[in-house]
Amino acid sequence: MATKPVIICVTGGKGGTGKTLVAVNLATMFKNGGYKTLLVDGDGENPNTYLLLGGELGKRKEVLFFKPSINEEKCTKCGLCAENCVPHALLHVKDSIPVPILAVCSGCKLCYKICPTGAIEADYKTVGWIYELNEKGLDLLVGELKPGEARSASVIEALLEELENKVNQAETKYDVVIIDTAPGAHCDVEELIEAADYVIPVTEPTRFGLTDLIRINELISLLHKEFRVIVNRSTLLGFKNQFFEDLDKLHLDNLGNIPLHDEVVNSYCAGIPLMENKREREKMGPAYNAFLEIFENVKEWTNIKK
Amino acid sequence: MDNIVVGIVSGKGGVGKTTLTASLASLASNDEEFTPIILDCDVDAPNLAIILPPNSGVDPQKKDTFTTIKASFISDKCVHCKKCIDDHFCEFNALTWNEEKEVPIIDYLKCEGCSACKVLCPEHAFEIHPVKSGEIISYENKYDSLLIYGKTQLGSTTSGKLVSEVKDFAKHSPKFNSSNLTIVDGPPGIGCPVIAMLSGLNYVIAITEPTPSGLHDLVRILELVEQFKIPFSIVVNKADLKSPFQKKFKKYIKDTRHKILGNIDFDYAIPEAMSFAEPVVDYAPNSKASIAIKKIYDNLKKQLNHI
Repeated sequence: MATKPVIICVTGGKGGTGKTLVAVNLATMFKNGGYKTLLVDGDGENPNTYLLLGGELGKRKEVLFFKPSINEEKCTKCGLCAENCVPHALLHVKDSIPVPILAVCSGCKLCYKICPTGAIEADYKTVGWIYELNEKGLDLLVGELKPGEARSASVIEALLEELENKVNQAETKYDVVIIDTAPGAHCDVEELIEAADYVIPVTEPTRFGLTDLIRINELISLLHKEFRVIVNRSTLLGFKNQFFEDLDKLHLDNLGNIPLHDEVVNSYCAGIPLMENKREREKMGPAYNAFLEIFENVKEWTNIKK
Repeated sequence: MDNIVVGIVSGKGGVGKTTLTASLASLASNDEEFTPIILDCDVDAPNLAIILPPNSGVDPQKKDTFTTIKASFISDKCVHCKKCIDDHFCEFNALTWNEEKEVPIIDYLKCEGCSACKVLCPEHAFEIHPVKSGEIISYENKYDSLLIYGKTQLGSTTSGKLVSEVKDFAKHSPKFNSSNLTIVDGPPGIGCPVIAMLSGLNYVIAITEPTPSGLHDLVRILELVEQFKIPFSIVVNKADLKSPFQKKFKKYIKDTRHKILGNIDFDYAIPEAMSFAEPVVDYAPNSKASIAIKKIYDNLKKQLNHI
């Protein structure tokens, strides 16, 4: 039997702390280190991993979501469907055909299952897409929510299903899977943490960073996952000293600190991951070296084998 | 007097929504023309209260919310027919079968409270109940204006509904009718909570930064704002960022002719003010950033006159 890859989820609570930066560079280091690596972009609302890799989204699979379609000939206008619809996604006025309000439909299909005359038919709408690509030698799986649609959770579910399929394929024996998440602590983030073996919250030494870190850590603990933090922009002055004191007090394990440095912004804007750079280590700046140290710490912690 | 509702959104997280909101809240609260209400709708990571704490002696009011509905199982009624599993009652895969006890197990994280199990089970062995989904906190802040924010209960799968609840709470507060401006700090992204936040807004400020992800996420949030037909303008944070991407960013703004409400250049006064938990316009009123934000505020007032 093929061994399962180790799954690492990069998250953070607060937005803009560097989740995608860490996920992309970690995946790049694993790939360049000879590990069979898959990067999964689980920020369906705003997937950005491929931008940091300088890529473009191409061929896609649609994520479909149920919508009720009413066959007016079969409908007896009884109103049973509307009566039982918890989110009130079916509007029924006495003696008239119910009107679906798709924006609030949860897709539970209850109306379709209970209509006594079979007048509610299952139709489907596109709520997002799944992309499979290879950028700079790295396998990438991206979920994208269609703007205007609210059901990002459906995109994440489809993404996890696709991940499961890929991991089970004989020809793609991944050693490691890195998942990037959306900011926040909502159901999308929760599902992705749930799917992981190890979790890395990325934070920054600000008040907001600390507050949101404590909250995401609560969620990770609720899901009984092991986690260690990475502090990005670690040299940002102001709140730094208190931040690191609090980190100590909370007994949080730290995988490393990434200092503020131009090389990070430049690689980010150029669409080439910092760790894709093949120059000698001595010629690279402090952020590059911080990533090398983080990589060693991640390997030691997770014990991922080639 | 009408209450004009202005929302601050970004698509991408961490580009300065709360920083800008806090300063606009300070400026509006100290402006004779306005009696503002301030809302924080980033219910997953509400941070505005850190910068706008309660006025001394004021006790925040807390109210639990029950916007989440979950199913429960009544084992006495179950006849172990396994219909719930075999007929696939649950579209969210929240039901699995315990082979040993021959009963269904509900995964509460996955349950959406749709009531399909309750309605379809021939023995009525399921019920649905509202459960605590979070809380709404409200108080008079240090400027004496009302601040309201929501905070989700972790694992309650409710962010969007709680956002609507926070907005409803504001509308029903006695202060709403005597207020003429509501400033709303939004969640990142373009999903359910953002859609809930956008509905009913009169004006949107989309804040961004001149980076590939900043622009990418701006395009996505504006697509949504345009679907809602809300007038909007853009604030560019870290506008002077040295980056090879600036050209592309400027070209986008030029080509789309979107209105720029203002630019905020990088200024250490911003992280410094943040570390002292103060809006930058209070902490360093003469800093480059504060002058830029005051200009943005004046431009916003002009825009609101057209509404």
